[in-house]
Formats: sequence, C-alpha cells, structure tokens
Amino acid sequence: MSAQKKRTFKIEAFKHRVELDPKYAERTWKVLEHAIHEIYNHNASGLSFEELYRNAYNMVLHKYGEKLYSGLVTTMSGHLKEIAKSIEDSQGGLFLEELDRKWGDHNKALQMIRDILMYMDRTFVPSNHKTPVHELGLNLWRDNIIRSGKIQTRLLDTLLDLIHRERTGEVINRSLMRNITKMLMDLGSSVYQEDFEKPFLEVSASFYSGESQQLIECCDCGEYLRKAERRLTEETERVSHYLDVKSEVKITSVVEGEMIANHMQRLVHMENSGLVNILVDDRYEDLSRMYNLFRRVPDGLSTVRDVMTSHLRETGKQLVSDPERLKDPVDFVQHLLDEKDKYDKIISKAFNNDKSFQNALNSSFEYFINLNNRSPEFISLYVDDKLRKGLKGVSEEDVEVVLDKVMMLFRYLQEKDVFEKYYKQHLAKRLLSGKTASDDAERSMIVKLKTECGYQFTSKLEGMFTDMKTSVDTMQGFYASQYSETGDGPTVAVQVLTTGSWPTQPSAPCNLPAEILGICDKFRTYYLGTHTGRRLTWQTNMGTADIKATFGKGQKHELNVSTYQMCILMLFNSADQLTYREIEQGTDIPAPDLKRCLQSLACVKGKNVLRKEPMSKDIAEDDAFYFNDKFTSKFIKVKIGTVAAQKESEPEKQETRQRVEEDRKPQIEAAIVRIMKSRRVLDHNTIVTEVTSQLQSRFLPNPVVIKKRIESLIEREFLERDKNDRKLYRYLA
Amino acid sequence: MRRSSTRKTGSAVPVNPSSGSSDTYRSASSKAVSKEVERIDNLFYAYADASSGLIDPEGIESFCSDLEVDYTDVRILMLAWKMKAEKQGYFTLEEWRRGLKALHADTISKLKKSLSELEKEVARPTNFSDFYSYSFRYCLTEDKQKCIDIESACELLDLVLGFQFRPQVDKLVEYLKHQRDYKVINMDQWTSFLRFCNEINFPSLDNYDAELAWPLILDNFVEWIREKQS
Repeated sequence: MSAQKKRTFKIEAFKHRVELDPKYAERTWKVLEHAIHEIYNHNASGLSFEELYRNAYNMVLHKYGEKLYSGLVTTMSGHLKEIAKSIEDSQGGLFLEELDRKWGDHNKALQMIRDILMYMDRTFVPSNHKTPVHELGLNLWRDNIIRSGKIQTRLLDTLLDLIHRERTGEVINRSLMRNITKMLMDLGSSVYQEDFEKPFLEVSASFYSGESQQLIECCDCGEYLRKAERRLTEETERVSHYLDVKSEVKITSVVEGEMIANHMQRLVHMENSGLVNILVDDRYEDLSRMYNLFRRVPDGLSTVRDVMTSHLRETGKQLVSDPERLKDPVDFVQHLLDEKDKYDKIISKAFNNDKSFQNALNSSFEYFINLNNRSPEFISLYVDDKLRKGLKGVSEEDVEVVLDKVMMLFRYLQEKDVFEKYYKQHLAKRLLSGKTASDDAERSMIVKLKTECGYQFTSKLEGMFTDMKTSVDTMQGFYASQYSETGDGPTVAVQVLTTGSWPTQPSAPCNLPAEILGICDKFRTYYLGTHTGRRLTWQTNMGTADIKATFGKGQKHELNVSTYQMCILMLFNSADQLTYREIEQGTDIPAPDLKRCLQSLACVKGKNVLRKEPMSKDIAEDDAFYFNDKFTSKFIKVKIGTVAAQKESEPEKQETRQRVEEDRKPQIEAAIVRIMKSRRVLDHNTIVTEVTSQLQSRFLPNPVVIKKRIESLIEREFLERDKNDRKLYRYLA
Repeated sequence: MRRSSTRKTGSAVPVNPSSGSSDTYRSASSKAVSKEVERIDNLFYAYADASSGLIDPEGIESFCSDLEVDYTDVRILMLAWKMKAEKQGYFTLEEWRRGLKALHADTISKLKKSLSELEKEVARPTNFSDFYSYSFRYCLTEDKQKCIDIESACELLDLVLGFQFRPQVDKLVEYLKHQRDYKVINMDQWTSFLRFCNEINFPSLDNYDAELAWPLILDNFVEWIREKQS
C-alpha cells in the first residue's frame, strides 16, 4: 500500500470568464422590467421574489449591472411620468389626496424593488458610484412629480392655501398635511426648505404683517398682546401637528418679528392702554404676557424696562417735588414705601424676578429720592413715628418687615450723614421723653444701621442707650443715698447724658424754681461725689415735670409739662398776673421757646391753664398772663404739649445743613490725606474719583469742596503742587 | 578809620603799565573795586537812618526822588529783588551792596542808567517767575504771614503783571474786587495767576480745563467771565 499523500483541497474560481449570452441578459432584464410594471400596477402578488432576486443577481454577476441600473431608471421614470399625469388630472381638493396615495404606492413599490435589486445595491452601486436604489427612487419621484412644472406650483399653492384657511379659522385635514410635509422631508431637507418652508415663511410674514397692522389699529395693548400670544401658540401647535420640528423656531420668529418687534414702540406707548397704564393698574397678567412676548425679540425687554424706568422716575420726581405731599413727612415716606412695594410685586409676579428690572427699579429710586434734599430727614421722621406709636400691636416679624423696608429706602440715600444727624436728634427726643414704644424695635433698627454702615455710624447712638440705662442705675443709687431725703419736696428723675453721644443743643440754663434747685443741687453733689472730674450742665430745654395744680372751684389736676413750662407756671405761685416781660425776666427762657411755651399754656383749647390778654393767638411782648382759675378738663391728668419731633422750620433746616457741611470738611480732608499718603503723587481727577469712592457710603462729596480742601491742605503744607508738572499734587511727609 | 578820607580826595596811585602787569592790574582793579565799594557804602549811609543803620521808608522815599522814580514804580521792586531785600520798606547794608554791585552802579546817575538794563533782565522768563514769586513774599510784612489781602494783591498784580498782561490783569482785578469767597490771596493762588496768564488763551479761555489742578479761585474767575460773555 502506497502512503496516501495528503492533498489539500483547493477551490479555485473559474479561471475563465463565463460570458452570459447578451440575449440572455436581455431576457433577464425583460423579466425584471415586467416585474417592475407589475409592482407599480399593484400586481405584485404573482411574483416570485426568489426568482427575481436571482435574476438580478445574475445580471450583476455577469457584468450587466449597468444595463440593469439604467433599465431601472428608465422604467421607474416612465411609471412616475404616468403617475404625474394622473395627479395633475385630479380635481381640486383631491389633488393632495392623490399625491399622498401615489406617494404611498411608490414607497411600497420602491421597497419591493429595492429588495429585489439588493445585490446590485450592495455591489454594483457603490463600486460604480451610482445612487443607491432607495435614494434613486426618491430622487426620481422628486424630479418627476414634485418638481414637474404643473405639480410643483400647484402643490405649494395648495399647501399654503390650506394653512391660510386654517389660520382664518377653518378646519383642515391635518394628517394629510403631515403626510405631505413628511414626504417633502423624506425627499431631502433642501426639498422641504426650498419647495415649501421658504415660501411658507414668506407668506406667513406677509400674512402676519397684514394682520398686525389691522389689529394695532383696532385693539388696545392688552388685547393685541393676547391675540399675538394666541397666534404664537397656534403656530407652535401647527408645527407639532404637521410641519417639521425645525420649522418651529423659524415660524415663531416670523410671528415675533411681525407682530411684536415691528410694533414694539407703538404698543408700549399706546395711549390709555400702553405699558404705563398697565403698570399703574397693576395688571399682572397683561404685564406677564408682555414680558414673555417681548423677551423673545431683540431689544424687547430693554424697551419695556426703559419705559418702566422713565415712568418710575417721572412719578417719583413728581412725588418728591409735590408741596402737598411734603407737608406730611410720614405720609410722604409711606407713599415711597408703597411705590416700592408695588413695583417689587410687579417684578416678582410678572417680570420673573428679572434682575435687570430690579436694577432699573433701584436706580430710579436712587435717582428721585435724592432729588429732594429733605429725604434723609423725612425718612428719619417716618422711623420716629413708627418707633413712637405706629408699631403698637404689630407683631415682631411685622416690625422687622417694616424696618427692613425702610432700610431699603435708606440705602438709596446719597446723603447718609444727613440722615444720621436727624436720626440722632429724633432718637434723643424719643429717649428723653420716654416715647419709644418698643425697646426691641429701637435696638433692631440700630443693628440694621450698623450692618449697613459700619460700627462708626451707630457707636454714638448706642452710647445714648447706654446713658439711659446708666441713668436708671444712678437714680437708684441717689435715692438709696443720704442725699435724697426730700420729705415733702419734689422728686426728681435725672438722665445723665454724655456730651459726645447726644446731639448738641447749646442752650443756657433757665432759672429753675427754688424748690427744684434744691433737689438738683443735691443730685449734683451726689453725682460728682461718685464721678470726680466731670462737669454737669442742666439741659433745661429738655425734660418734663408733673405739677399738681388746684383751680378755682377746687378741682385738682396733675399737669404734665416741659421744664420750661414748669418754670413759667411756678411763677404764678407768687403772682396771679404777670406780663410777658416779667415772665421772661423771671425765667430767662430764650424768646422763641418762651413764646412757644406760652402759646401752648394759654392758647390751646382744653390746655389753657393760663389766660392771655389780649386773646390773640400770637404772643406779643406786651401781653399779660393770668392764672386761669376757670380751667376745666375732664381728665385729672392733663398733658400739655411735649413736642414730638417735627420737620424742621426753614432756619433750623439751614442750620442743620450747615453743620452737616462743616462735618464733611474734615472727613474729606482725612480721605485726601489717606489717599495721598499711600499714593504719594496724584493728578487732580484721580484724587476726586478716589475721595468720592471712599466717602460714598456716607455722602456724595462735591468736587468743588474737594478742590477747596486740597487748597487748604496745600496752604497748611500737607500737600504741594509738583514743581515740574503742575497738574500733580505731591504728599509732604 | 581814616582811610576813607584819603581815598575821598581821589588821589590815585600812579600806575606803571610796563612793570609786573598782572600785579599792578590786580592792585589797580582791586583798588578800583574797593573804591566802588566805598562809594556804594557812602551812598548807603547817605540815605540810611543813623540809629538803625538801615535805609527806612523815609530814606527810600528820598532815594527814589533822587533817582527820579516814583517809589511805587515797579523798578524799585525790581531793585529790591536784585538786592534780595527781605523786608519791605527797608534795605540793609548787605542788601544794598549786593544789589548795587550786581548792577555795577555806585552813583545815582549810574543807577538811573542801569534801571532799563534791570528791566530787561527781569523780563527774561527764568528771572521773571522768580521775580514774580519774590514780589509776593516781599509783601508779607508780618512774621508768619502767609496771605495778602485782596486790595494789595490787586495792586501788586497791576504793578508786576500789568505791563505784560494788561487785559488779563484788568479782568482779574475786576473779579477779585467783585467776588466774596476769598478775602486774602495765598502763595499758591498767586503763583497760579502767572501760570494762567502764560498758558491760557485770553480772552477766549478755550484751553482752560477746570478738571485740572487749577485753584478754585481761577475756576470761579473763568466761570464769571464766561457768564458775563453769554
């Protein structure tokens, strides 16, 4: 037996070309051609997929791919031309339906054909850079049907007409529309865009341009915006139902452009219904709608914001310049707070808490609050009013809320140092007359001011509170001590004020009645005994007294009066009648205060414990005063005018302002020196800018004043002008 | 002590030009110099007050009349500057010597002639600003005085700047007398007036910028002019 040679099997391809007989190729093609016809004629059921596939396969295999392909093209085109005709011939409303149906047919046919010709699709087509069958089918449809002269225009017109009808309220066949647009999308997004979307957008633009013109003539702002919003919603809905999703942004921007952007100014400024009216009426829904619509267009929000700002500034300006309003400071500030509340609400409810609107609100308030240079005083008076009585019965959280709102206004003030001065005065009056309704509220306010402005601002205010507390302790000590044996004499409650912390009220003490002097001196001795090296001065322009008075028919009353008033009344213990001059001499009270006191004692109904001759309202130097034994009151305790903090008279105002200006000078100088010390050499403008920014938390310095201070510093040789460049200043160590 | 009298007779020492030239020149010139000094000193003592040893206002007055120049004339001020005189109305011997030596003037007639040269010298820009500052300081008569009152400042402006800057000075003087903000002028403001005249176009004032470091008094001055113009 011979050894079996291991032989590897080799399968060799045909080395020779197996030529398919061209006639055979033609026959094969004919079979396929016939099949295509049958498919288009809805007669595909009789066909054998396997056979057709094999035929196509063979053609390609035997290098007849080209014939197959071009045959396919011709056949399909032929069919499509017939289809085109039938579509063209369809009447009116059936046009789209026919098109849709034929498209469906074509797709089905194309599917089958593609399956049959799959081998060609996978081999012949790529290597010969031919369009694949499916795509080919679509392109042929596009060229023969969609872009055929008669159909192209008619298709577009039909679509646009239907859309127009829907816009004017008719109901249309949306699913049909969807199919058609989907067809266009399937044919390629450029087909959809060129053949439909572009003209659609143009037509829409002119539609909305027309509609907006019409509406703007007959609608008011709110109505118009409602309609615009509705149209926008409509278009979005339309897209979702039967247009390509990418069209949404395009069509909405058309509507926005035509309906909103083009008419922005007119809408916003519309008489009786424009933005200003809507703001005034607090119509949140309309405002919110406007915000959302205008937000979509360029410069929309800035237009709204600008109108709101100028309106705010205008109303604010009117408010702060209206003399009627300014008569009552508390009312004035309440109006400011109400205005702020109103707009805060608008911004949060309708403007989405938009920060740029918040900023516009802030800058407007800052603008007009500072137009009136009495704003700092008035805000302090408002707080004074609230801390005196206005907050009784209000819960603690509500107190905080009110004070926080006031702090908002405070922040807008440029002249915070003026506010400080007034606040001090008003606080002093409150503390000394015991008129503060809630200690906690007072403290809370101080804390808020400290947080806002720093320790320096409130240190003196806190000093005032400390003094009040210390005084209570001092009084306890006094009455426990030997000095206080009074027996029947008057009792005294002393508040000892540290000079630096309290607002300066220079006044010479008046003549106190002897009985009072006695106990006062005792106190002085006691106090100086425990605090050596201090100096005490009685502030007779402040302080109160309770006096027991008996009148004509024996009625006893207890009168609560100011120190000055007490001095005046005690004089009547030794005389029933006194002239103005006698009173003046006896008490040494300064004339303007004396007149005010006498008015409150003699000219006010229900409080006239004195009688004046003549009975005029004004106090003249020749007037005579009598003890009014006929005085009656239903109250046992009668309070006679402790002056609450009032807004200052003109001369007082001038004085305060002058003091503020004086106080500012050293602050400006200190800032200049600080800056120059660190920078050594600076030009004028930079100094002004730096000084302003350093002081802005307290006040806005006047550049002229800054220049004056610089010159003063030059004179005092803290600074000099640079010898070479006289625009510069130099620090002199 | 008695040297001066012999010199006064003017007997000159005969000079031999050929022998030891520099020596003799030096001695001659030094003799001439010392003669000059003597004459200057003598001139001083002619006007000085015997007890104080200074030329006082009275002395200056007669000096001026000899010079045939009014004592309020700016040239007297220039002379004071040249002397670096410290106190207005008084000249010390040292100051006198300094000035007259610098002018090479030892007689009244030479002084008279030198005045026009002096004027030219002062007019030179470098000297002028020095002269200008000097004239202010010269008016500070009290110890520690730093300012001069408006009236005097106006007169001084007229005297010192009037020739060169007549229109500016007239307007400025008018303003200074009219305004109420300032009652005195300090050195800083004074210096700025000259700067103003030199740098700012007048009467257009178009290159005046109030944002720069001009003193406030000039800002107000410019504003006042502009208001009057409109």
